[in-house]
Amino acid sequence: MRRQVLALTAAIVISLANLAALAQQPLDRTKVPAPGQTPVLRVPTWTRTQLSNGATLIVSERHNLPLVSFSITFVGGSNQFEPVARRGVASMTASMLTEGTTTKTGDQISDALQLLGTGVGANVSAEEGSVNFVSTAKNFDATLAIVADMMLNSTFPADALERLRGRTLVNLTQAKDQPTVVGAQVFAKILYGAAHPYGQRTTETSVKAITRDDVVAFHKAYFQPGRAIITVVGDTTPVKAKAAVEKALAAWSKGGEKPSFDYPKLPELQPAKIYLVDKPGAAQAVINIGLPGPPRNTPDYFALQVLNTILGGQFQSRLNANIREQKGYSYGVNSNFGYGKGPGAFRAGGSIFINKTDAALIEFMNELKGIVGEKPITDEEIKTAKESLIQGLPQRFASVSAISNAITSLVVQGLPDDYYQTYAKNVSAVTKEDLLRVAKKYIDLNHLAIVIVGDRSVIEAPLKATNIAPITMIDIEGNPTGASPGSSN
Amino acid sequence: MNKTLSVLSLVLMISLSQPLLGQKKNPASSDSIKIPFETYKLPNGLTVILSEDHTTPTVAVDVWYHVGSKNEMPGRTGFAHLFEHVMFTGSGHVPYGLHDKLTEGVGGGNNGSTTNDRTNYYETIPSNYLESALWLEADRMGFLLDKLDIAKLNAQRDVVKNERRQSYDNQPYGRVSEIFSAAMYPKNHPYSWPVIGSMTDLSAASEEDVKAFFRLYYAPNNATLAVVGDFDPAQTKAWIQKYFVDLPQGKPLERPKVPLGNLASSKRLVYEDRVQVPRLYIQWPTVGFKHDDDYALSVMSSILSGSRTARLTKAMVYDTQKASQVAGFQDSDEDVGVFQIVVVPRPEATLTELETSVDQVLQKFISEGPTAEELQKAKSGLELSFLRGLESNLGKANQLINGAIFYGNPGQFRDDYQKTMAVTAADVKGVASQYLTRSRIVLSVVPKGKRDQASKAAESEAVSVVTGNGRGGK
Repeated sequence: MRRQVLALTAAIVISLANLAALAQQPLDRTKVPAPGQTPVLRVPTWTRTQLSNGATLIVSERHNLPLVSFSITFVGGSNQFEPVARRGVASMTASMLTEGTTTKTGDQISDALQLLGTGVGANVSAEEGSVNFVSTAKNFDATLAIVADMMLNSTFPADALERLRGRTLVNLTQAKDQPTVVGAQVFAKILYGAAHPYGQRTTETSVKAITRDDVVAFHKAYFQPGRAIITVVGDTTPVKAKAAVEKALAAWSKGGEKPSFDYPKLPELQPAKIYLVDKPGAAQAVINIGLPGPPRNTPDYFALQVLNTILGGQFQSRLNANIREQKGYSYGVNSNFGYGKGPGAFRAGGSIFINKTDAALIEFMNELKGIVGEKPITDEEIKTAKESLIQGLPQRFASVSAISNAITSLVVQGLPDDYYQTYAKNVSAVTKEDLLRVAKKYIDLNHLAIVIVGDRSVIEAPLKATNIAPITMIDIEGNPTGASPGSSN
Repeated sequence: MNKTLSVLSLVLMISLSQPLLGQKKNPASSDSIKIPFETYKLPNGLTVILSEDHTTPTVAVDVWYHVGSKNEMPGRTGFAHLFEHVMFTGSGHVPYGLHDKLTEGVGGGNNGSTTNDRTNYYETIPSNYLESALWLEADRMGFLLDKLDIAKLNAQRDVVKNERRQSYDNQPYGRVSEIFSAAMYPKNHPYSWPVIGSMTDLSAASEEDVKAFFRLYYAPNNATLAVVGDFDPAQTKAWIQKYFVDLPQGKPLERPKVPLGNLASSKRLVYEDRVQVPRLYIQWPTVGFKHDDDYALSVMSSILSGSRTARLTKAMVYDTQKASQVAGFQDSDEDVGVFQIVVVPRPEATLTELETSVDQVLQKFISEGPTAEELQKAKSGLELSFLRGLESNLGKANQLINGAIFYGNPGQFRDDYQKTMAVTAADVKGVASQYLTRSRIVLSVVPKGKRDQASKAAESEAVSVVTGNGRGGK
């Protein structure tokens, strides 16, 4: 209580001084308040050690709240470890970690975690996997013991597999009704083709084919310490965290290594084309425009970050300022680079009022032509984009799980430990010439795939009239429908 | 000087920190559940809340207006939300675009949100941009109408219509909430229309309609400002004084008494949507979040669904496996609330069967109430979710303002926490038997042309909602 009152007294003195000044001068509200001195960037520090089983352990302290974040990240994901005919087995296996161990049923695991007040996440995505939780500091050891049991002693009951299979199939059916999901899937298929992991996805057929043996084999091959990064962030110390992890995971023996990320060659780029998926009655058209791009380790990364911030990374970026704010065709459009270990896509798009699909596509193309040179990038745009990227850095350290992600991603992507300290320098070094060069290099207007999910009867003729590119009708799997374009349904 | 001096004495009187409440039922909890803050009022009625946290060099500036869709008139729905958009298009001294430039353009962010009960606007910024954020908020509170014209209004009206298309019309099951609102409340009841409004009303709003709405509700006496994060309190108070103190107070507002939802008899509805998987929805009228039963209803939510061993989940997703997913939750607003259950079937199960299963689980639950362990599990997650909510400046700001706006007490989150921890098995059994035995609405959403897939199809009445996607309109 004393401190609060003291603070108040100080406030009064200062406010009075300030008010006296105010009384003399009427407030000029047109004057934009100047920013104060840029706050010093405080990057969290961390320790990194290697456990005897080969796993990397990272610990970062943060004591403002009694919380601890824990994660085991596995380098490599479904693209590296899933057989094509068994797409979905990685996620299925991750889900089955909660279904029972040699000493506990799935219900018992769930009850124990509920009493500890936390939940455990387990998932495997395209290029990495993770088992993670956030707990109160006092419940950390107990939660970690349950997670270790799930990782090491899961029994993968056959009936649980059938239940999860049934649920996954319902989810896949529901996804077909989601125009944005369909748009994203078809876009990937068109860009990368069925032979490239980036073009593949979990299907009804692959889910139906998964056996319990597949799950057990995947578990054995994948959840190995040799490719694991264990990250503990929060109200703990490196000594305490290491002791807790070593105790809980004592039985996790050596094995596994980081996979290579050798992806097959990309299919040859096709001349620009509109791929249309018919969705009768849809109030909006979902547009995705793009082509395969560079991996995360490209030397052009910082230039591309600045470029994308200007083109479609923000609310006032060129695309959204034009298509949403000036034209009112959409609730929001954007662009991004997918990066990853392989050739992640460059993509621009959004959901568009169905009657404005053609007009919006014209504007998308205008902005893409603009960014590769027709509408030169201004110094002001560059300044704002850089400032936004640099000053946005502290947000990456705003919570224990955010810090955990920020540190872990450096290790997963093979970036230097001083990445955040040198971030501002690297962003600042990007020049106008760099931006034009990377724009021309990665936004190849002659080879864009334009994928649109919408009501064909409303949009096909207007799209054709734009003369932007020829139209091919495709189904929700990305295969040509055979219906000749131009015929009406 | 007179005016400013009286402000200061007000500051002194009101800005006592929240006393720590000593009641500790559950020693495992609550010591860490605290947000130090101070609060005061400007003479024009603006409530100010300040809470320091220097963990990261960032600040959240958050302004809530106690106005939502329930304050709109029938035939003019969607205004509160339309305003949320207009508020980002510049004001008297702030040209269009500058707001974004001084927030996301410097590594921060901004957004707003609208509910039935309140509208909020916020900036998250590096701490050296705090003064400009306060300047921005003050300018749109005091001078929005100086620069508002019909062209600006029309542009945002189009954006809102697109938001409606994206979030409701082009979304599978996206019409469910507005079907329920219309069916649960009498015509013209303030909670009977959707927050986003109807396409027709959005088109009909005139410039004068919109301006009148603003003058009434967007005044300092209907607003609360919170600043949370890395700032200097003395300097910040001086800035707040500088930019907000001379904004004129608005007219006093009446807050009409809104009746709770109360169905004379149960309704059974079926809606055909562009979906392949049908869904079953059940809704009962309950109470709003200011009612004491809301605590027990929330605890009941996590006993019925959410975890693997929750009653409905265990019975329907795990044991009989008739459902692919099930969720049950208390959804409460300031004046009204509903308890809703949603079930996604497995292909071999019918909605009629699922409704029967739900009723069996509920009947058993109503007659026996929760076990001690169920109660404990439901409460255990609370401490962690409270703590995680305190990690972000904005999360804290929202907690504090929520209490200030609806309860006149920024420290309300702590009372809420303690009251939830104090819920007993008898309380939960009590609300279950009181509310889940009432007249209710059963809504089946089925694929187009498959009305026979509805639960008890023969007794179900078809709902047609205006498609509203404005096709053909230019």
